[in-house]
Formats: sequence, structure tokens, C-alpha cells
Amino acid sequence: MANFPNIERVDARAKVTGAPIYGADRTTPLHALLAVSTVTKGRLAAIDTARARAVPGIRLVATHEDLADLTSPGFLLSGGYGFQSFAPMLSDAIVHRGQPIALLVADTLEAAAEAASLVEAAYVEVPFSSKINSTGATIIPQAQSPLPQQIFRDTIAGDAAGAFGAAATTVDVTFHNPPQHQNPIELVATVAEWDGDDLTIHEGTQNSGALKFGIARMFGIEPDRVTVISPQVGGGFGQKNSLQMQTALVAWAARRLGAPVKMVVPRSQLFGNASFRPESRHRVRLGADAEGRLTAALYDVDAQSSRHDLFPLDYTNPAARLYGIPNFQGFQRIVQTDVQTPGYMRAPFEHMATFALDTAVDEMAAALGRDPVEYRMALDTDRDPVTGLPFSSRFLNACLSRGAEMFGWTGRNPEPRSMRAADGQLVGMGVGCGCYKAATAPAAASLRLDADGRVSVAVGVHEMGQGIRTALANAVAARLGVHPSAVSAVIGDTRGVPQHTTAGSWGTATAVPAVVEAADKLLEELGPDPLAAMARRGLESYETRIERRAPGQPEEPARALHVGRPAPWGPVYGEFVGFSYIAHFAEVLVEPSTCRIRVPRIVSVVDCGQVVSPRTAESQVKGGVVWGIGAALREATEVDERYGGFLNTDIAEYVIPVNADIGRNEVAFINEPDPRISASGVKGLGEVVMTGVAAAIANATWHATGRRLRDLPIRPEHLL
Amino acid sequence: MQPFSYMRAGTVDDALAALSQDARILAGGTTLYDLMKLGVEAPQRVVDIARLPLRDIRLEDNVLVLGAGVRMSAAAEHPDVGSSAPALSEALWRAASQQLRNMAALGGNLLQRTRCSYFRHGAPYACNKREPGSGCAAQDGLSRHHALLGGSEHCIAAYPGDFAVALAAFDAEVEITGPSGARLMPLVDLHREPGSEPQRDTNLRPTELITAIRVPLVRAARASTYHKIRDRESYAFALVSAAVGLEVEGSIVVDARVALGGVATRPWRSREAEQVLIGRSFSEGRAREAGIAAFSSARPTGHNAFKIELGARAVTDALMIASTRS
Repeated sequence: MANFPNIERVDARAKVTGAPIYGADRTTPLHALLAVSTVTKGRLAAIDTARARAVPGIRLVATHEDLADLTSPGFLLSGGYGFQSFAPMLSDAIVHRGQPIALLVADTLEAAAEAASLVEAAYVEVPFSSKINSTGATIIPQAQSPLPQQIFRDTIAGDAAGAFGAAATTVDVTFHNPPQHQNPIELVATVAEWDGDDLTIHEGTQNSGALKFGIARMFGIEPDRVTVISPQVGGGFGQKNSLQMQTALVAWAARRLGAPVKMVVPRSQLFGNASFRPESRHRVRLGADAEGRLTAALYDVDAQSSRHDLFPLDYTNPAARLYGIPNFQGFQRIVQTDVQTPGYMRAPFEHMATFALDTAVDEMAAALGRDPVEYRMALDTDRDPVTGLPFSSRFLNACLSRGAEMFGWTGRNPEPRSMRAADGQLVGMGVGCGCYKAATAPAAASLRLDADGRVSVAVGVHEMGQGIRTALANAVAARLGVHPSAVSAVIGDTRGVPQHTTAGSWGTATAVPAVVEAADKLLEELGPDPLAAMARRGLESYETRIERRAPGQPEEPARALHVGRPAPWGPVYGEFVGFSYIAHFAEVLVEPSTCRIRVPRIVSVVDCGQVVSPRTAESQVKGGVVWGIGAALREATEVDERYGGFLNTDIAEYVIPVNADIGRNEVAFINEPDPRISASGVKGLGEVVMTGVAAAIANATWHATGRRLRDLPIRPEHLL
Repeated sequence: MQPFSYMRAGTVDDALAALSQDARILAGGTTLYDLMKLGVEAPQRVVDIARLPLRDIRLEDNVLVLGAGVRMSAAAEHPDVGSSAPALSEALWRAASQQLRNMAALGGNLLQRTRCSYFRHGAPYACNKREPGSGCAAQDGLSRHHALLGGSEHCIAAYPGDFAVALAAFDAEVEITGPSGARLMPLVDLHREPGSEPQRDTNLRPTELITAIRVPLVRAARASTYHKIRDRESYAFALVSAAVGLEVEGSIVVDARVALGGVATRPWRSREAEQVLIGRSFSEGRAREAGIAAFSSARPTGHNAFKIELGARAVTDALMIASTRS
């Protein structure tokens, strides 16, 4: 397939002029807010809303006593639709700090806020556990959990314990990551409006299908009655991948009050009321034989979940696919703590899995006196060590060699602490590799060609900043021979085709093949000049519709698409295994005195299959690298165990990078189509870009300072 | 947010007439509105002084006079500030973001309240500053951003600002106007240590207004810097900062100024560090000695002990930068 042209974002002008309408941009006569629990665990003994009800302009005050007719939507990972199984305000139970205890609706946002501050609650408190090391946290090996073992069993290849015991050189290291929160700029928000028995929800979501079916379940109404419209998402990053806790409350209030209601959940409440990256601890043991070949990896993970849900762990699967280590043993334990259920935050498992594994590999290379790039390239494989199946495509070594050249790796003195900048700062150069499953999902697509040459496609996918409209336009335009600006897309809208969750980096790899198939069908039916054929037949427009499944996906699991449930397939596809790969090269500068770490340059080379939209793809890489820098050096949600919940609940105190933290980021793509995944050759991009960044920075920091730092985020005090 | 009355003052006298125990002064609004939205501040009355004619920057003899209503960005960019006292300009540049500096007034910036998480985030956290008598969650809590100097058993909330730290180093004074007329107060006396009354941030009376800041332009101010170490390159409060100035004759230090930010309950002038330097020859070793002396009375809590070393190094680096300017 020819390379796609580097067109500008089709919605670039609209975005910079503020034209797109996001869910919360809609004006409504009524505004809702929540009062939330100040305790972590127990039950509501009493709730007094008299003062709240007395606020001028207040229209509705509701507590669990009013909402008992709603049903839990269930947990997304166990047959439901919600980010957690626990739905607040259906009982007096308190299961995490920050959970809603009262709903306030008023004529103005200010009156709702004033009323929320006047809700008085008394609690019966019981002891709780906030961290994976806390007393009372319950540790459950995933292999012994009720989770379906055919999906969530531990990753095992060969005999890792035996090979580790026989190894000539070993590395045994432990890493830690605090909880982190996605913090998309667009807050979680809902506008709900009833027309008779029909409900319309405007909400920025990655999963309008789950909202439709989840709300229907909660209200006990037919899904046909619920429409969800989400044409733009102002950043999702996994936090908006399922039904949030406020959607049903807003819809309930709108029905009760007979008028549209809007709620924008304040950021401080989102820290305690939406999913997040759980706290985790990672022990990696590597063994190499006398020739330095990596023969064994044992990877143990403890990661936090809630009391009420088992958030399934998937750290060991990607770790086993990064290199060709013949003997691999994963061991994952879920640690139940008293928080809301954590979830998927960009590269949810792969960020830490690749940080842990690839930092350990760097340590092994150092122990063996091998060059870090050369050593990684020697670990290549074209077969998946776990299943023995071939990889659908794998160009990690090409990423490494091209990146090394772009970066100037040969100028690196291998000795730690050996390189200095002109101003005396310590210079470090490090490499880090990452991988992410090339999953895909079933999709329905429709395509309409109008006699004026305009094309409209509808497909199950959401625009959350990644530029999917541009990818769809580029792919359809190339197929039909029209200009990309002639192609528009109806997405994130349940009035069109079924909407599947856009997550797991399967969005482009799922939606692009679907619209291409719809275009191909049109060409098949109308011939190579469809407009001429339409003119001959006197047609004003012509529409095709297709539905496709992931490669090798049976019909039964794919049907979940039609009920708003996740239906992804892969990375093990029966005949092959699909992963995207990336290599990052980082240069760091460490101030010798105060030990501030700067990252002036990162070179990233990506194997994501075919690149469909070069410009937005490059943006994706840069965004992922920025987040990788943040994850490695900045971000931590703080937990005070005496109180539970989270402490630094705003983006002044939750430190993400600013522009001044980001230096040069050079990006290159291998751009080799992966024909086994789909005819479009697309693997995934949005998450692999973040994997390996933290390893590259930590490895470069070691090279600069001689210090191995294994707890994220790395801060000056760790180097003093 | 509770209802409040709003009054825009046309003159200083208007403003003074409107001030009372239950009133809060509004200048740029960058702190007050924030704390009102958090429910930490709940004034009955807000007196807006943004229109008052307090926006002059001028030199009087050898004193830099900055109106209390001058925007942080305007002071940071003013050539007289940058050339006569680079530490002041740098302290302003390195505070907040450009958007906030464009809004925030110097007088208000001096009075910025602490960023202690337990203070800002309300219930259920114990905080004597927010709710006298409720306790101090920070003492045994997450104290990475809390004070090692000037704290008490009732409060270790760090003073968050930068500009006041630089002012403290150079014997600045604040002009204060109240019902009984105007008075001058040394900047170092403006802020209080928490002692047993952490709810009282300053020695300003509720009916008084800061109208100007006066900075004597000593030679050490010309050879000065504000060195700020923080968790990111911009838009972050100091983990530790040092405002320093040096006057060196031959190789002998005749005047040295050292003040610390991010590590103390108020802008912290370190006479201990200055005494190490004054009257002795300057060297990197001496600078390091001064940095260690600056933290000699530090009392760390669970998560901030690293700042004794980090702070010593920051003071050392700042002195080395200043020495290149003297």
C-alpha cells in the first residue's frame, strides 16, 4: 500500500476556532452537582439536607433514599457497563472516599455548589486500607481468583524457575509506581434530556454504546429509548471508557424535573470518583547463560484493585512479548483496597511492565558489559515465546537501529557518569523499548456517496483527540479517489451504527478497515467510477453498509458490539500474535548539585504497521512521549493512609509536565503494513507510544549518575 | 459558595471604609477566588481594589517603590527592577504562570495563603489554620511540601510565595494604610510564624491595606539572584528557593543576603548563612558552609528531611550565581 499523504487534521481549523461542541458546551436550564463522602468506609448514619434545600434556586435534593429504584450497571470487566460495579446512592453504604452521597440540582451552578456544601452527613466508620502495603489489604493471586482463567491466567513459557536457577548472571530488581490519574482537560460531564420516554445524553465518552445500554439497564428501560451523542472527547485516556457514576444521576434528575440537566464533575471529585492507574509493585528476575543469552524472566506484580471489583491484571502478557526470552513466568496478584475501582489509564499495564522489564534488561546488559542497544537487538525473535506462533509483524530491531542512528548512539561513552555538558551538567543517554497488543474489534460501518461527490461515513469509533476523523478521511479518500476534505464522519453517536468502546489502541485498526470495506463494497457495486454510475442511474446518493469482525474472531464474542459490551480480539489471533513496538532514545541532563533531571531530547521510532494519518500519528507519538516523561519524572497521586482516598486532587498539586519540561522529540515510523491484522495493515499506536519512555529516561539517568532508580516518579531527592 | 456582597472601591479611603473583620480585599483574585471556590475562604464582603491608583513603579533616591496594585508581570518586566535587583525580577518570573502573573497584584501576592493540601482541601483534614483547634494533619502526614523552619506543633504550612522571599533578603518595607493613617512595616515582620495561632497569617489588621512596597537598592541587590528548585520547570511552587545577594570587595564579602522560600512558614531571612559569609573571603566552600548554616535550625518531618541537603545545595548554587554578578 502506498504511503498516505501528510494532510492536516480535517478538524484542525474547527478545533483552534472553538467550533466543535463538546458535551458540557450545551446550555441547560438546570445545573447539578454532587456532595461526596468525606469518609472512606462504613455507612451513612444520617444525612441532613434541610439547609441545602433552603438555598434559593435549589430545585432538587436527592439522597440514596430517593434513588433506590435504579439498578447497578455492573462492572465493565464482568458483564456490565460501569467503570465499577458499585453504583453510588443506591444504598447507605460507603465504600470509598469521595463517593456521591447527595445530588443537588439548581437554577444556577452557584446555587448547586452552595447547596452541596450544606449537606450534612453523619457516618458509621470502619477501618480501611488504602495502599497495597496497608494492613487489611487483601491479596488475591489472579490465578486463584474467580476471573475467567482462559483470559486472565498467568503468562507462562518454558521453565523460568529452572532456567533462572541455572543462570550464570542474574538480575533481581523491584519497581514501584504510585496511583496516577488521567486528568483529561475535558472533565467528565453529562447533559441529559428526556423527550417523553426517550432519553438523550450528551457526554464526552470513549464508549457511547456502554452508556446507552448501561443507562437502559440502570433505569430498566429499552436501550432503543436511549441515544448517546459524543462527537468529540476532550481527552479520555481510559477514564471515559465506560459508564461513569454521574450519568444515571443526571438522567434521573432530568426525568424528575422534566427539564434538561447538566453536570460537570469537578476535577477534585474525579480523583475519587473515576478510574485511575492503580498503585503497583513489580519484581523482575532475569537470568542469562554463560554466553549472556537471556534465558529466564520471572515477573511478579502486585497491583491495587477495589474491594468490590477484581480489576484484571495484564502486565505479564506484554512483558513476555517484548523480547525473545524462552522461559517466562508471570505471577500477578490483585490487592484489594478501599478505593473506587482502578482501571485503564494510557498503556495501563504496558507502561509499568515495559518500565520494569526493560530497565531490568538494561541492568543485565550493564552486568554483562554489553551495549544496551546491541544487547536488546540480540534478544529479537520472530515467534511469540508464549504461544510459539509467529508475530504478525515485528520491527523492533529496525526501530532500534534507526533510532540509534537518528540519536547518535555511537557518540555515547558506555561508562556511567562519563559524559558532561559544557555547563557541567551530567549527560545521560538511555534506550527503552515498549510494546502494546495489536488488538482489533468488530465494527459496523456505513458509507454514503452523494452526487456532489461528498462522502459521509458512520462507524463505531470515538474522536478523543487522536485524529480519527483525519485517518478515516485519508483512508476513504484514497480508496474512492476523492479529496479527504470531501469525507465527513459520524462517530461516537448511537443514532448511527453500533458504537464500541474506543480504547486499547484498537480504534484506528478497527474503524479504518471497516470504512475501507464499505468503500470497496461501493466500488464493487457501482464500478470504478461510482459518480458516473450514479449519474447514469439518476441516483442522488448511494449507501453501503458492512459489518466485520476481527481476524479469526468467532461470531459469538463479536455480538457484544450490538449490546454495548467490549468485543476486542487479539493479540493472539489463532494463526499469529500481533503487537506494536517502539524504541525510545532519551538524553537527560542532571544538575550535579540539586539533581534536577531534564530531558532535552527523545528520539522515538515506531512500528505500528501502516500509518494512515501521518500528521496526527506524529502528534500521538509526541503526546505519548510527553506523558512518558510525566509518568517517569512527575506524576503521583498521593495517599494519606489515615484518611484514605487521594490528597492532591487538582492539577496544581498533581504535577504533569509543562511546555518548559519538554525538549526536542524526533519521531520516525517504520511504516510497514501488517497484512495479517487487516488489509489496511494498521496495528495500534495510541498506547505503544508511551511504553518504554520511562525505561529510556531511567536508563539515561543511570548512565548520567551511576544510580539505578526503580521507583517512579524519579525526583531530585532520590539522587541527592 | 456562600453569597457575599461585592464593593468596588474608587479610592483608598473608600476601600478602608469598607474593610472589616468579615471582609476580604480583592486585587487580582488569583488566590481569593480560588480559596472561595474551595470553601476555605468565605467572606461576607469582598472589597475590590483593582481600580485604585496603586500601579506606579518608581525610584525614590535609592529606593525602588512598587505600588501594591502593580501586576506581577509588569514588575517582572520593568527595566528598573531587573537592573537594580535581579532577584526580585527572577522571583516574579519564576512564580505562577504568565496568565496568573498578568492578573495577580504584588500586594496580593505577598499575602498569598499556603498551598498546604490539608489546608486547601477542607474536610476531613484537620487544619488549625483553616479551622482553629482541629489539629494539624501535616505533622504526621505527607509533608514533602511543608516547612522545616518556623513551624510549631500547631502548623507547619509553608509560605508559598517567591517575591516576598526576595524582598525579605533586601530589607524591603511595606507601606500600610489603615483607619489611623499610614505606617511602614519591615517585610520580615509582615508574616507571622504560626505559633499557637496558625489562622493568623500576617500582622496586618483586618482594616488595613498594603499600598506599596519599598526596596532599598543596596549593592548586594544588584548582584543578586532568585534560585528556585521545583518539581517542574515552570508553574510550580518551590521545593526550596534561595534569594541571595552579595557585595564583595577584593575577595572579601562585605554584605551578604540570604533568604529561603518553600521551606519555612514565612519568608525566611537566614542571618546564620549571612554571618558565615560576611567579612570573609568568598569561595565555593564558603558558599556551601553558608548553605549548611541556613538549615542549621531546620526541624524536618516525615517527608521533607531531604530539603536540608537540597536547600544547602540550592543556597550554594545561588551564591555562586550571585558571585558572578558582583
